[in-house]
Amino acid sequence: MFDRRKFIRSSAMISLAPVVPSFLAGLAQATESARGDERILVVIQLDGGNDGINTVVPLADEGYKQHRRELRLPDSELIKITSDFALNSNLRSVGQLWEQDRLSIVHGVGYPNPNRSHFESMKFWHVGSNQQEQVEQGNGWIGDSFGTRPVRLGAPHAVNVGDESMPLSLHGRRCIVTSISNPADMRLRASTVDLSERDQSSNATGLNQFVNKVVTQAYTSSRQISELTTQDSSAGYPASRLANRLKLISGMIKSDLGAQVYYTLQPGYDTHAGQLATHGDLLGELSSSLKAFMDDLRQAGLEDQVLVLCFSEFGRRVAENDSLGTDHGTAGPVFLAGTRLAQRSYGVMPSLTDLDDGDLKFHVDFRHIYASLLTDWLGLRLPTWLEGYRLDNLLA
Amino acid sequence: MSNHWKIYQPSTSLPWNVNRVRHLHRRAGLGVTLEELDRDLAAGPVISIDRVLQGTSRSQFTRDNFEEMSQVLAEAATRSDDEVRLKAWWIFRLLWTPDPLLERLTLMWHNHFATSNAKVGNLQLLLRQNQLFRQFARDKFQRLLQAVLLDPAMLIWLDSNSNRQGHPNENLARELMELFTLGVGNYSEQDVKQAAQALTGWSVKDSQARFRTEHFDSADKTVLNVTQSFDSATLADHLLNQPATAQRLAWRLCDTFMGEGVVSQPAIRELAEVLAASQLDIGRAVETILKSELFFSEANISSRISSPVEFVVGNLRSLELLDRPPSTMVLARWCSLLGQDLFRPPNVGGWAGGRDWLNARTIVGRANFAAALVAGELHTPIETPDLKQFCNRLTNSKSVPAKSGSLKNLLGRHLLSTPLPVEQEALLSDQPSELIGQLLSLPEACLC
Repeated sequence: MFDRRKFIRSSAMISLAPVVPSFLAGLAQATESARGDERILVVIQLDGGNDGINTVVPLADEGYKQHRRELRLPDSELIKITSDFALNSNLRSVGQLWEQDRLSIVHGVGYPNPNRSHFESMKFWHVGSNQQEQVEQGNGWIGDSFGTRPVRLGAPHAVNVGDESMPLSLHGRRCIVTSISNPADMRLRASTVDLSERDQSSNATGLNQFVNKVVTQAYTSSRQISELTTQDSSAGYPASRLANRLKLISGMIKSDLGAQVYYTLQPGYDTHAGQLATHGDLLGELSSSLKAFMDDLRQAGLEDQVLVLCFSEFGRRVAENDSLGTDHGTAGPVFLAGTRLAQRSYGVMPSLTDLDDGDLKFHVDFRHIYASLLTDWLGLRLPTWLEGYRLDNLLA
Repeated sequence: MSNHWKIYQPSTSLPWNVNRVRHLHRRAGLGVTLEELDRDLAAGPVISIDRVLQGTSRSQFTRDNFEEMSQVLAEAATRSDDEVRLKAWWIFRLLWTPDPLLERLTLMWHNHFATSNAKVGNLQLLLRQNQLFRQFARDKFQRLLQAVLLDPAMLIWLDSNSNRQGHPNENLARELMELFTLGVGNYSEQDVKQAAQALTGWSVKDSQARFRTEHFDSADKTVLNVTQSFDSATLADHLLNQPATAQRLAWRLCDTFMGEGVVSQPAIRELAEVLAASQLDIGRAVETILKSELFFSEANISSRISSPVEFVVGNLRSLELLDRPPSTMVLARWCSLLGQDLFRPPNVGGWAGGRDWLNARTIVGRANFAAALVAGELHTPIETPDLKQFCNRLTNSKSVPAKSGSLKNLLGRHLLSTPLPVEQEALLSDQPSELIGQLLSLPEACLC
């Protein structure tokens, strides 16, 4: 286990190491607060477009039977939650979190004029805007909100966990992000050249400045993270890729790395064909991994400091296609996990009979959720384009 | 020739020098040996660029029986059903081909029509698709697109098996319009639905594409305001005729060969016109780019992040570490580790490339690759390479002006596309292999 004392020791080493450039060394002056009530957001991107209808199932809706003939989940494969909706039975552990007031569902989340392209819709979700001009600016809803806020001893603002490229959400002019999938990958074999004399803010062109910055940051965080080992916990993580990623995140949170946002994704939700089995497996992986993660944090006494957001770029069409799958649709549910949430469900289930060209009508604009997570939860400054949005009553 | 793509002619401000020879090979080949450098410097741009275009740019470290060996390796890889061996086969081609531009274009099409073995799960089919990309790499785009639409790996990848009359699956139709031809914003949702109907009837049986009339929807479809009984082939032709397709291909080619922020929108439009006027002749457009003044402009030099394949293969060739063949399996694993897992692009959009190649993990990975390279770990069995010998050849090379300075400086110029910061030189080692390891882990080493 990478314990706190060891972390401080290695942090001190980092601040003295020649490789640390001035812009990071300056951060060492930022007060090293004792582990306090710093809040952390963990984002899980359900990649590919999750079929919300078979995730949070609208029991009472006539349209469910009508549109889902082959893909309709029988009662035996549902966990009834309220008279309105049930959970896919693969979400058993999520159901337990719900029972224990550690999980909320936001129903029917989407945005106006939905785009059914994975890339376009994901960009909107990453930026927090459905305006093309805003998307082209290239800053993400999380990345942009880290203004000049000091972070602890050269810690990154955010960590992208996994081998996928960094999501647009984390792009920001000042945002320092590290990407890791395995702490061992971060170990530098040979000593690299001292880059400390390089002027990070020089008049060098954009691309030169960029490579200077990212390479220097990478070598710095290499020293930090390669020492981190994941603790064997008794929380019972399943053997899966998502579980491993969450376990790594838990390790970083427990060792007080200092990042406020951890981002990871679970791929595979683009279920155009043979959906039932694939989708069930994905939800099962999500559910058991998420529960293990929350239990792990609970045992470490850290659960109150962490909130998890699970979202997908769109839901799927209400009517199934003829390949036992579903094509790209619109609105879907968002899961939030944590102990500080005020309500267990937000918004109302979208109707499966009152449709917009065969697609669900959204009720909650995802930007409301973003804005409340940034301000009410993380205490950050809102990106200008999210001003005016707020999900009422997010926190208890 | 047009304005934006006027032909490069050496001048006092844009001389034909070692930097431009290296630039040509970094972008259109993969690294350059000292002998090739001397040869092209003497020959001038016209002959040198033609060699690249005609597939004769490599004079060293090629193999006479290259295609035969390639075929043997490909067959062995698919027989073994070991995906790493198929990746290693492609690395073999990238390393030893006499025509590196062809491999680069094949890689471009692999990204444009990104198909992953994660779903296809059949190396034989991925190999066939890859050979198709190579066969039509420089051809008129119509031939490539029509072949791709009947390619079994593609049909499996985008769910054609389940796209049938009356119950279309939109997956292939959408990506055909969004990624392969028009680009996002140039079609409606209704167009996608109608196009999906036109693509019905095709499926894969026994590793072959087959058409079944009973699954084909022969009704009229309206796609981009034209109504007729479109099928797969006529739909493709219809899409190929749209100006947006030429525009997207022009963007793709600039994205492949040009630097960040170098090509203006009007220049892309002009290249699109070149394409549109030549029935989307890819070879013609590539020639236009590689012969242009814009390509050889200062702004375009050192203005890209190199891809993992460029970094791995390019540096091996530039350091001439090929007397003893490196392990292609080891190199394939390195490319994966650095973020370019061949035959496994991250999704249908392919690799985002550019700045996305770099993150903490891949940057540390590149530095560790450099360490492995100088330690001889890219070869099996491991054997420390004699880099001193290469350094001697470099110092005595004809292309190197006599008074051009220290070994650090010479190696820096050879391996990096941009000059070393002056203050950096003092911090570098004098020992050749250590020096090379350090140079390849500098921020500048990520640029090309």
